[in-house]
This record gives sequence, C-alpha cells and structure tokens, in this order.
Amino acid sequence: MVSRLFTKLMSFYFFIISIGCVQKEEVIENDKLKSDLIDSYILESRDKNSSEEQRKENLEKAYTIYSTLEDNSFKINKIHEISIEYYNLKDFENYRDLNEKALKLSAQIYDSLNTARSHFFLGLYYRKSNLDKAFKNFHEADKIYSSLDLHKYDPKEYAIDHGKVLVDLSQILRRAKDYSESEATTIKAIKKFESVGDSQYLPLCYTNLGILAKYLERYEEAVEYHLKAIEYTKGTNDEISQTLASYNNIGTVYKTQKKYDKAKDYYNKALAYTDFLSKNPRRHARLIDNLGYVNFLSKDLTNIPDLFYKALKIRDSIRDKYGIATNTMHLAEYYKSLQKDSIARMYAERSRDVSLELQNNEELLDTYLLLSEISDSDTGLRYANKYIALNDSLIKEERLFKDKFARIKFETEEIVEKNQQISKENEILIIAILGLTALFLLGYIIFRQQQSNKELLFAQSQQESNEEIYRLLLNQQIKLEEGRQMEQQRMSEELHDGVLGRLFGVRLSLDGINQRANDGFTEARNKYIDELKAIEKEIRLISHDLGAETLPSDVAYIDAVENLIGDLCEAHKISFEFNNDEGIDWESVDDQKKVNLFRILQESMQNIFKHASADLIKINFEYADGNINLTILDDGVGFNSTKVKRGIGLKNITSRVNQMNGQVQFINDVDTGGTMVSVSVPAKANVTELY
Amino acid sequence: MKKKLKVLMIDDHPMIIEGYKNTLLGENQKEYQIKIDIASNCDDAYAEIVKSSESTPFDMLFIDIKLPPSKDGTITSGEDLAKHAKELLPKAKIIILTMHREDHRIHNILKNINPAGFLIKSDLTSSELLLAFNNIVKGKAYYSATVNDHFRKMMTNKFSLDEKNLKILYHLSRGVKTKNLPNYVSLSLSAIEKRKNQIKEMFSIAKADDQMLLEEARKRGFI
Repeated sequence: MVSRLFTKLMSFYFFIISIGCVQKEEVIENDKLKSDLIDSYILESRDKNSSEEQRKENLEKAYTIYSTLEDNSFKINKIHEISIEYYNLKDFENYRDLNEKALKLSAQIYDSLNTARSHFFLGLYYRKSNLDKAFKNFHEADKIYSSLDLHKYDPKEYAIDHGKVLVDLSQILRRAKDYSESEATTIKAIKKFESVGDSQYLPLCYTNLGILAKYLERYEEAVEYHLKAIEYTKGTNDEISQTLASYNNIGTVYKTQKKYDKAKDYYNKALAYTDFLSKNPRRHARLIDNLGYVNFLSKDLTNIPDLFYKALKIRDSIRDKYGIATNTMHLAEYYKSLQKDSIARMYAERSRDVSLELQNNEELLDTYLLLSEISDSDTGLRYANKYIALNDSLIKEERLFKDKFARIKFETEEIVEKNQQISKENEILIIAILGLTALFLLGYIIFRQQQSNKELLFAQSQQESNEEIYRLLLNQQIKLEEGRQMEQQRMSEELHDGVLGRLFGVRLSLDGINQRANDGFTEARNKYIDELKAIEKEIRLISHDLGAETLPSDVAYIDAVENLIGDLCEAHKISFEFNNDEGIDWESVDDQKKVNLFRILQESMQNIFKHASADLIKINFEYADGNINLTILDDGVGFNSTKVKRGIGLKNITSRVNQMNGQVQFINDVDTGGTMVSVSVPAKANVTELY
Repeated sequence: MKKKLKVLMIDDHPMIIEGYKNTLLGENQKEYQIKIDIASNCDDAYAEIVKSSESTPFDMLFIDIKLPPSKDGTITSGEDLAKHAKELLPKAKIIILTMHREDHRIHNILKNINPAGFLIKSDLTSSELLLAFNNIVKGKAYYSATVNDHFRKMMTNKFSLDEKNLKILYHLSRGVKTKNLPNYVSLSLSAIEKRKNQIKEMFSIAKADDQMLLEEARKRGFI
C-alpha cells in the first residue's frame, strides 16, 4: 500500500517534472536529440553489412549517450534495446551487465514493468549456464507481473511479456523434471497469450505440453498437443518447420508407446519435406537417425545400418555433437544385437566420450549401461558401478534442483511478506508521525490560545489596576486637598476672629490713650497706629484668601488634568490654553469616564507632539445639554485622514469613546491647517435606558 | 451735672472692650458719666439685657456680630442679640461693630436691625469711634465709610438686589459652585438657578456664564 502510494507520488513527481520541462524547452530539445542519436546508433548496429566490431562500437556509443539521460522509464527502455542488440551480436557479457543496470534503475524509480522485463532478460542470459539464477529471475518477473495493479496498467500491455516469462519458466521446470508444475505454468502462459489473441508463441507452448504429456505417459494427449502446435502455425512462415518438429515429436511419442508403424509413418511424413531438410541438415540427420532407430526396434532391418551411417555422416560433417552421441549409441545397440561386441563397444565408447565432453549425462547413463553389458566382466563391472554412481548423482541433482526452486519460491514469498510487513510498519509509523504532528500542532495552538488569553486577561487586569491606582491617587489628592482646606479655614478663622480682633483692640486702646496724651509725640504714635491698621488690613486679606473655598474633588480632577497638560507641554516646549467649564459637575461623573477622558487627552497630545509639529494646543472642557464636550485643537500641520485612520492611537480613542456611548470626530481644519479632536460623552449614565 | 449713660459692651475679645473703654473714658468723661457693663458671650449679654430691661435700661449697646452662641442655641450672633435688645430695650441705641465688611452682611444688618451706629472695625479709629458716639448720643445715626459706600451703591443702581441674591453673588465670587450654593444660601438649587438667571437679565447679560456675571456684578458694586 505504501509502495503504491510512493509510486503514485513518484508519478506525480514526474508529472510535475514534465510540466517543468515544458518551460525548459532547451532541455526537451536536448533529450529528444539524445534519444534520436541512440536510435540511430542502434539502427546502425543492426546493419549486417558492417563488421561485428563496428556494430559493437555503435552500441557502445549508444550506451555512453544513454548514461547522460535522466533516470526514467524511457532511459530503461533504451537500455533494454541496446542489450537486445548485444544479445543478437552474441556479446552476452554486455547483455547481462546492461540488464543488471536496467534492473537497478527500474527498482530505483519503482518502475515495475521494467523491473520485470529486466528480470526476464537476465533469466534468458542464465537460461543456458545457471538454471538456479535463471529460475530465480523468471520467477521474480512472474511475481511482479502477477502482482501488478490492474487499475494502473492495462493487462494487455504486458500479457505477452508475462507469457514469455511463463514459457521460459515452464521449460526450466521441465528440465528439472518437475513436469506437473511445468505443465501448469505452460497452461498459464497459453491463457496469457490467448487473452491478447496472440498465436505466435502458442505452438511453442503446445509443443512443450506435448513433450510433458509424453513424460507423464499421457500419449494420446501428447499427440493431440503436437498436432495442435502445427494447427497454430498454419499459414505462417513457421508452418513447415513446426510441422517437421511436431511430426518428429509425434514419432517419438509413438516410439515410446512401441507403436513403431505409426512412428515410422510420421518420420517418413517429415522426411518428405526434402526441400526444407536439405537446408537443415541437423534436423534431417535427426529424422533419419530416429527413423533408423524405430526400424531397428521394430526388427525391420532392411535399411539398417545404412540409415544410421547416413545420419552419422551428415552429423559428422556439421559437427552436431549431441547428434553424434545419440547416433553412435544407436549404432552400438545395433551391433550389440548382432553380437558384434567389439564394434558395439567402439561406438559406445565414442558416444561416451562425446557425452562426457558435452556433459550430457542422460546419454552418458545409457552408454555406461550398454558398455557394462558388452564389456568383459571386469570392465563391465566398472561400467556398471559408474552407471550406478551417475544415476544416483543425477537423481540427487534432480532433487537438489526441486529443493532449490522451492527455496527460491519460498524466499521470494518471504521477501514479499516481509515487504508487506515493513510497508505495514511504515504505514503505522507514518500514521503515528502524522498523529503526533497533529497532536503537537493542536497542543501548540491551544497553548498559543491560552497564552493570548492570558495576555488579554493580563492587559485587562493591568488596565483595571491602572484605573484603581488612578482612583486611589485621586482620592488621595482629594483627602489632601480637604485637609489643606480645613487647615486653611481654621487659620483663616483664627486670623480673622482672634488675631485681628485683638490687634484691633490694641490699636483702639492705643489710639484712645494717644488722644488724651499731650507729650508732643501724638503724631508719631498716630503714624504707628495707622501702620497697625495697615497690618490689620493685610491680615484680613490673607485670612480672606485662606478662607476662599476651593472645591476639593472637582478641582482635584481638573488639577490633575491641568498638571498633565502643563507637564507634557513643558516637556515638548509647546504652549497651551486650558479651559474648564464650571458647569461640569466632575464629582458626579464616574471615575471610569474621568479616566477615559484623561487617557484620550493623553493620547491626543501624544499624537500632536509626534506628528503635528504644533506651537499651541487649546484644550476645552464644555458642558452642553447633559454632555461633556472635550475639544483638543492644535495649530500644526494636520493629518492625512486615510492614513491616520488605521493608527492605533486613534483606534484607542475611538474605542474609549464608544465605551462611554459618546461620539468622536477628527477634523482637519482647512483654514488653520491644524487638527481638532472633538469628543462628546454624556455626563451621566443614561439611567432611563435600563428600564 | 454730667449726663449719665449706661452702656453695655458685648465682645468676646477683652482687648477690644479695653480699646472702647480707653477711647470713651478719656475725652468724654467731662460731658458724660459713662457706666460700662461688659459681656463676652450671647448668654451673658442676653442676661444683662433682660436684667436692665427690668431695672435701669441701657442707653447704648455695643454689639459685635461674631460671638460665642448661647448654650441653648437660640442666639447665635450679635445680630440675634440686637433683635432681642430692640424688643426688650426699645429706647436703647444699638451700635454694631464688626470685622465683616461684605455687602450682603452689611445689607442684612441694615435691613434687620437698622442700628443707630454701624461701624466696621477695620476702618475704625479712636477718633471715629468718639465721633460716632457723640453723634449717636445726640440722636444722629452714624455709619462707617464702608457702610455709607454700600448705601451709595444701592442708591445708584436702578434696582436693588435682595439679600439672597447678594449672597449668591458673594459666594459665587468666593469660588463656590452653583450646585454647592444651597449649603450657603437657604434655597433649593433650582431656585438658585432661577435667581441667577434673573440677575443676569437685570444686568442685561442673559446668556453670560458665571465668569461674566461676576465681572458685571463687580462693576456694578454688588460684590
């Protein structure tokens, strides 16, 4: 499942790459040029007129170009093409190397079809030299083809390739004498070929079935299969060749059945194709030999041993060693039947030598058996022992092959199972990772949410505590003011009623006494008495000033406001005018509102200091129709309304005003160029709204 | 034979009474024989007044406005005492001597008591006190220059402001808020507002704010 996902991803990846390539036309041009070049080299290498050297050289050139191509299915196809040309040139080493490369590449890019094809080609290479490896490769290819996703690939696309693999597999199985398995595989191959209506390989399949049926002693069936094989070649170029082969095979079937007449009939039928046989001496010789052997077996000795000699002559001339081994064996049997043991021994020994050379063990086995019979007792015993040893080893080898194949099959299945398990584990891993990631993300999001909530709460509580502090400060100031006021009042009264009274009394007494005294100092004393009067007046004025009532709480707020304005303006070296309407009853205005107005004033002044470059600020509190109107006017450069609207300062002001159910306007004074912030908020909470 | 005069001096400061005595007993001893009684609070003063009304009544009363009130709280100032004195001693000449020189106070005292003498302590000198004394003894009223000034101001205005209006203006000028005025003037806030508007209309500055009202009042001499 995961690998499928990967293939999908890969194909998607290639899709993207191909899109990318559209933009890079040069690259495409380049690639096209290369593939054309490869094709031309391959074509040249096929030219049979040029020498083998030249043809190989061309392939090498093609090979060097392919290596510069990008790793994709197209490249692998090209490698396969080149390898086939090497095969045709019988350069099997290069053929194998190239296919091994192709296999590696296709595995890398998860190209199943090319992986299977590479296995198939490698199987062909090992078919002759190493049965195990051949089987392994063919089996691998079969596995891949069988497991291909039918949704993704058109089964017809690879049915023929699969069929070919199965044919080869069945032949290997036949050679290992696993006849029933081989038969089943062949039938599977036939089904593949039939599914796409391809009859090219069917004769081969049926021939195989015929041979298998013979081994399994189903002789009638065997004959039928061989006839069917001929049927499929009717009307094609291979008709004669296949007919000859099938007739030969049928003859052999009948020979095994000891139906010698029928066997003779088919051999003679085959031998009638004189034109074809004259061009194929090997097959001609085989037919003659077979016919002779059947004649010999049927005790029809008219043309014997002429037929054997005729066949042997042809085989000698073309050095058909397999044929020679069989042929000399037949002659040995013939001479043995005539009791001419020495001649028989001569032919048998020749057959033995050739078979040893060819490692044709089955033929060798027959020669040993024959030699043991025709030699004198000592040598005969030796040959008999050799026969037994060879037979044993053959049986062992056969068993070994079966075991090996079984093991290979098991291993691949195990690997598949393992792969499945791994992919399952991968799946679980990916799900786990995705789950963990999602969990982590979720956790992170929740964490951030909480964090921002906390920040918000913190900001809120900060504001609350700010306001609380302000309230406390205000109360403190009020208390201080009250205390001061009380003290002043007390001092005022003390001065007025106590000190002033007594001073008056003293002055009056002095004055009275002065009127009566006649010592010439009256005028001087009068002067001091007047001075006392002046002092009294001064004290009274002071007392009056001290006693003048200032209203604590109201004044405290306005004081705080004026202090703020004064401090800020002094710091920024701007002059200001401040007006407070006495009609505003600040004491009845709630603290929240006072704080908000205070902050708005602060914010507005910050704006003015930062942006307006003003020289004068006019701040006015006004009371009208139950509303407190605060206007802040400057003579600065004004503002760009569209730009400033987004500013955080103005947003703060707006939100504060909204909080108080008020209205705010930012006006650009066109005449003076300055800016006016005008805030209007109800002085009292609108109680009627509640009901 | 010197004319006998019985005088009651009411002041909580012995020093002041000393001053009065020093003034009156010096020069005038030749013309009048003055017998002085003193009281330093409302209770004592009232007791003296009552006592004299039953025997020899006082010819003259020197009354300070600011006095320690009586214990039962019925008499809180020289003003109250004067009222009682006018009832109990209708023939006695009442001289008010006070530190207060505010118009509304002066106005109030003139209206309620109509004293024979009205002297502002801060203006007062020994000779003026003598002059006042002599005038009053002869049946002529004597007012300090400040009081006379007040009269003059009242006369030059085509209209007069009553005591409450003057009080309102006075307190406003001291910096008292309109909304706190009920604490100082025994009127409701709405009544005060009404009166303020009336004053503004009288001054023909109907839509003026408090600041302008006070300026106008100062100009016209009401403060």
